[in-house]
Amino acid sequence: MPGFDFSNHNRNVALHAQGVPLPKATSTGTTIVGCLYDGGVVIAADTRATSGPIVADKNCEKLHYISPQIWCAGAGTAADTEFTTALISSNLELHSLSTGRKPRVVTCMTMLKQHLFRYQGHIGAYLVVAGVDPTGAHLFTVHAHGSTDKLPYVTMGSGSLAAMSVFETQWKPGMTRDEAVKLASDAIQAGIFNDLGSGSNVDVCVITNEKATLMRNYIKPNVREQKERNYRFPRGTTAVLNEKVITKEDLSKYITVHEIRDDDQGQAAEQMDVDS
Amino acid sequence: MDTLVARYSAPPSQHQPLDQDEQEELMEALPPLSLKFALPPIAQPSSWLRTMTDDHANPNCPIKIAHGTTTLAFRFQGGIIVATDSRATAGNWIASQTVKKVIEINNCLLGTMAGGAADCQYWLAYLGMQCRLHELRHKRRISVAAASKILANLVYSYKGYGLSMGTMCAGVTPQEGPALYYIDSDGTRLAGNLFCVGSGQTFAYGVLDAEYRYDLSENEALELGRRSILAATHRDAFSGGFINLYHVKEDGWVKHGFNDTNPIFWKTKLEKGEFSNVTADLD
Amino acid sequence: MASVFSASIPQEAPGYSFNHLSSGTREHAFNPYTDNGGSTLGISGADFTIFAGDTRSTSGYNINTRYAPKLFKIGGEGPSNENARIVLSVVGFAADGNALKERLDTVVKMYKYQHGKPMTVAACAQRLSHILYSKRFFPYYVHAILGGLDEDGKGALYSYDPVGSYEREQCRAAGSASSLIMPFLDNQVNFKNQYVPGSGVGHALEQRVPEPLPRKDVEQLVKDAFTSATERQIEVGDGLQMMTITKDGIEEVYSPLKKD
Repeated sequence: MPGFDFSNHNRNVALHAQGVPLPKATSTGTTIVGCLYDGGVVIAADTRATSGPIVADKNCEKLHYISPQIWCAGAGTAADTEFTTALISSNLELHSLSTGRKPRVVTCMTMLKQHLFRYQGHIGAYLVVAGVDPTGAHLFTVHAHGSTDKLPYVTMGSGSLAAMSVFETQWKPGMTRDEAVKLASDAIQAGIFNDLGSGSNVDVCVITNEKATLMRNYIKPNVREQKERNYRFPRGTTAVLNEKVITKEDLSKYITVHEIRDDDQGQAAEQMDVDS
Repeated sequence: MDTLVARYSAPPSQHQPLDQDEQEELMEALPPLSLKFALPPIAQPSSWLRTMTDDHANPNCPIKIAHGTTTLAFRFQGGIIVATDSRATAGNWIASQTVKKVIEINNCLLGTMAGGAADCQYWLAYLGMQCRLHELRHKRRISVAAASKILANLVYSYKGYGLSMGTMCAGVTPQEGPALYYIDSDGTRLAGNLFCVGSGQTFAYGVLDAEYRYDLSENEALELGRRSILAATHRDAFSGGFINLYHVKEDGWVKHGFNDTNPIFWKTKLEKGEFSNVTADLD
Repeated sequence: MASVFSASIPQEAPGYSFNHLSSGTREHAFNPYTDNGGSTLGISGADFTIFAGDTRSTSGYNINTRYAPKLFKIGGEGPSNENARIVLSVVGFAADGNALKERLDTVVKMYKYQHGKPMTVAACAQRLSHILYSKRFFPYYVHAILGGLDEDGKGALYSYDPVGSYEREQCRAAGSASSLIMPFLDNQVNFKNQYVPGSGVGHALEQRVPEPLPRKDVEQLVKDAFTSATERQIEVGDGLQMMTITKDGIEEVYSPLKKD
């Protein structure tokens, strides 16, 4: 049956009248921005992921790949932004293969909004979609409930007000690439320092007619200083009641053993793919 | 409503003098164990307090009050044994592992602490004061019956306000001999031979009831007290830390240590073969 | 089909089978508290007590100010509290914390004027407990830590719950990062879960015995505790205020923390 289902409408009005709050659109701690300039578009994001008041990841990636020249910045529920962008990226690739053309930003935006609207906001993805296609450079925002905007400069997430204040005072039409990158990263830094939900580093992605450039950790304004003390415990500090030795040979019957040297362990975790 | 409005519509002045009560309170030389408590300016203070502080009913309540947990006391031929754990929890958080849950009211009266830590601390201190005043007025020590009744009447007068305490008063007096009373914030006051109070009470009762006899020797009684608390700390997540042991005798109470449960547990397991459910074997 | 839809279009006054409050007065919950975040800690040593607190004040995801002290000198003279020997740290609802500080400060000052001698830390600690308990039914939304030097010149530290239960301790962390800092302090100050290597096998292994730490070590632990808390707790940051109470008075040091 085509059309909308209003069967819960009466109930929801009654509940609201009783003081039950309407479902609130939430965007959990993030600052993401986007900005058009002469010759392309730039998007940027902070790198803090939180769960409640705790920092879950100090250097996460909020800039997602959609197609070679369409990228997406995500705020809201981390899993939702990740999977939604991956799904649309996949569908867009198939679409581009079947049409034999480069994917367009509007197509991507439309697919995102139709997907999100279908789930009535339960998929908590708040996105900034940016890209360059044969029709030019485009910038959109997509909200979790499915509404979209097309603007020359946009911000989203809990740090959106801090970031927007920077855009509203400093944005001008016809900026150069360097000006746009500077403006976007300044806006992110406003979020990083003034919004508790945002923090750590600035990631920037510049998309031009030719290519997209991801600048991972473009600015690192929050490097942790050296600790005052050394917290290495002497061997034997932890109580051991009983011991059972399983040798590497025993283990390798079931799994592949890969040796990681102690001193580059930290390094390995910090290293990320960076396209300069 | 008008009274409320009147109360809060006074002009806010920078140099508004303190009201009479406050002025007196600040001038008073001794810190008063006063019975004047601030109440929130609303119609139902107790239900409001419950929404703000009752982490059992509402785990997201903003104010988490520290709670005490397993306590026990029993009478036997040689006096009274009082034993407690030492853990204080605020919601799921272990606020402290070193709480002194046996409160020394005076040199021959002990009180125990379960429920709200602050309620027990404050009102048992107040009880100590009343007991001393009784001594000064009547030139003899207060009976345990009278002391426990002061406390029971006191908490009963605050019934419904949201106090939370389950306490035991143990003492030996010439006229009563060893006497033990249980008092809680509902106003219950019971005399008895044996009580366990707190979230770990069932586990402590399990051991205590099985092994208890009135003619226990002093060492057997101390060991039974210790073993009962150990059982409770083993099975109740809200009990743990240290075992606090006291023996109340005719000439006052004697402290028998404040010992970490972990070594006691392993000693009990390895030397007596108890707690066979716990194993360190790997095969 | 159309009739089904037209029948379910909401009317002005639908006949619900239950009452709704929109017609009468609407009762709002009485909520006089805000959590201003932040964290404090105190550690007592052999002849000193150290307090520390971050200086960020928050509400929700916003920063109210980057410098709001949580550490207060109690019972000093004049506006800069000279010659004070007691420090109070409060974390939780800043307005309640301030009211509590003012009240305790007045009491300690009055004590000095009336008795001609400064209040001992033990007496002050008990008085603070009674002040907190006097609001048992309308609590101060604070976690307080009080400290100084006791009558033997040893470091003294008392920690409180919101309604006044208190206890003397070696160290205590309070506030939004207490669950991050307290386990660290248990391990590094009281040597919890640390054993002496080679002292025995299995159950014969001896626990490492806590001993009062030197001041330098404690200062380093405090700094590491706060830089680490700043990394993982969004409400902690901006600045670190440290106060050390020794027989020579109170030394106050401010150092910056990360501001994101």
